[in-house]
Amino acid sequence: MRVTVDVKGEETHEVDLETAEGTPAARSSPPTYAELLAAIDYSPHEVSVLVDGHPVPEDQPVETDEVTVLRLIKGG
Amino acid sequence: MDCDRCGADAVMHAAYSGAHLCGDHLSASIEKRVRRRVRRDELVPREASPENPQTWVIGLSGGKDSVVLTQILHDTFAEDPRIELVGLTIHEGIEGYRDKSVDACVELTADLDIQHELVSYEDEFGVRMDDVVEDDPENMAACAYCGVFRRDLLSRYAEELGADLLLTGHNLDDEAQTALMNFLEGDVGQIAKHFDASLGPLPDREDQDDFVARAKPLRDVPEKEVALYAHLNDLPAHITECPHASEAYRGEIQGLLYDLEERHPGTRHSIMAGYEELADVAATEYGEDGDVELTDCPQCGSTTSVTGDRCRKCTLLDALA
Repeated sequence: MRVTVDVKGEETHEVDLETAEGTPAARSSPPTYAELLAAIDYSPHEVSVLVDGHPVPEDQPVETDEVTVLRLIKGG
Repeated sequence: MDCDRCGADAVMHAAYSGAHLCGDHLSASIEKRVRRRVRRDELVPREASPENPQTWVIGLSGGKDSVVLTQILHDTFAEDPRIELVGLTIHEGIEGYRDKSVDACVELTADLDIQHELVSYEDEFGVRMDDVVEDDPENMAACAYCGVFRRDLLSRYAEELGADLLLTGHNLDDEAQTALMNFLEGDVGQIAKHFDASLGPLPDREDQDDFVARAKPLRDVPEKEVALYAHLNDLPAHITECPHASEAYRGEIQGLLYDLEERHPGTRHSIMAGYEELADVAATEYGEDGDVELTDCPQCGSTTSVTGDRCRKCTLLDALA
């Protein structure tokens, strides 16, 4: 499953969830948004994942081929 | 996944509690935690009344944390004649970055009909952070200069505005990082100071007559939830990183905490629970012996612990002159 991950203000990643690091190829449950984040080296505690502009819980299975990731901005 | 409370679409999973919450219930939960912190820290004193209202100055940078804090405090106290809110914004002289966040502050305070004060390093000290980082006479990180100047202005203007309390938007991640840094640096004196400066319930703090008392009502809320609150409630928060940000050690601790939180959900909460208790004990132990003699800086008159010499801000300004 290929997912386009647009990290706002930074680069866009194409992640193949079947082969992404940390994602076992043989598995009983579908990959989650947390695993998608792990594949691009982000913790769920430092970003929000948006699907069609709406935040989604990171423990949920990925059900889309396009997500937006908002990084948290310190202080400001 | 549905919200545990109403069945609407969940927007987040809080691994530390196991909860899945929709936008409305996440917002309600955050507001509840902020109000509970205001109560626990006994921020509204008994003597506050419509005839004797308290002035709460909020350090309002325009970033998500201070914008969310201002919104929730406004929603909580707008109808309460005992509390008057004032937003205090400091312009550090960072081209492009602070100009936009000042706009967010102006928009928010106008929307909420809150008094807003804007002060700048340039007007107050004759310096701009963009020039300070170029000059860098002390060979320090930008944040080291900026922190000294910001604390000076926050304290001075809080006093000038007649503040009873100075509130800042530090969240759970900020506080857990600071706690861990103090612990890893072995600085028990600093832990004691942290309790008296902002962590302890107001009546339990050592005498702080020389400074306006501080409070951090967002400190039970993880940073990610603060960001979601700003997003879900469409608040005018400014979302660009400071171009000079360079707190390397804090960044390292932050990465460590993300990893720990992922493997052991609730780590940030348990760090703070233990640290607050420890800080209370440390503050009691250090209370009498640890008191530093305070004096007025001979150059600017601000309260400082450096006897006979100028305060840190004046030393830095001289080096920059």
